[in-house]
Amino acid sequence: MALVDVTIAGIALITSAFMAAIAAYGMTYSKSFIRQLLSIEILFNAVLLAIIVLSALSPASLAAFSIILISVVAGEVIVIVAVIAAYYRVAKALDSSALEEEGV
Amino acid sequence: MTGGALTILAAITGAFMLFISILIVKSKDLVYASSSLAILGILNAIMIAFLGYYLVAAFLVVVYVGAAVMFIIITVSMLGGKAKEPVDESKGYFTAGAVGASLFLLVTAMAAYLGYARPSNISVTDVSASILESHSLVIGIILLALAATLIEAIAIARRG
Repeated sequence: MALVDVTIAGIALITSAFMAAIAAYGMTYSKSFIRQLLSIEILFNAVLLAIIVLSALSPASLAAFSIILISVVAGEVIVIVAVIAAYYRVAKALDSSALEEEGV
Repeated sequence: MTGGALTILAAITGAFMLFISILIVKSKDLVYASSSLAILGILNAIMIAFLGYYLVAAFLVVVYVGAAVMFIIITVSMLGGKAKEPVDESKGYFTAGAVGASLFLLVTAMAAYLGYARPSNISVTDVSASILESHSLVIGIILLALAATLIEAIAIARRG
């Protein structure tokens, strides 16, 4: 195992942990649906990076798993954005606090 | 490229990723924030390529940045991204601190336990064989689910 690999893996892990923290901040700090969606996407990027770094055991299987993960997230984004667009048409707002007031 | 140069490039990429993440969360304009998400996806692909997973990096750029993030950017542009949004700073800092600290400890412990081995040679053939032989049922279900998702999204957006 070369030293550079461990160093790059460490950099990637630290980056992913900080990105997860930033994503958590964005999700709780803002009430905007779009901002919360973007924060979830930051979290997805952090998780993907961490999963890839921690995949020492089976690289080929991990590559397949990562491709499946990216496909599922692409589908999830389409549905969430469609729901936000539908909500915007009804409520004329992109604010999740309106949902809290209505008890949803 | 030497190992030292690769490490420096990876560190610069990581720093840029954190900067772009902060930009996404703090940017006033949601269109700029969602455009920054595309840059974050590309930087993530570069970092994954540094780790040796070139195919995953290419797939991330093509499918995630090229399709999903572009879809977000176009939708945000159509809805208008400059609306005033209510914020709660203290709750955000508390959650970020808790999540960041616990994840940092967890990930460091896992890395120390597992160790790390750079993938020596993952070819497209290996990954394709792995997908088709070991994960064929999963791929079939995902294809059906994605088709259903697409129809569902069109129905939701039209009905709203």
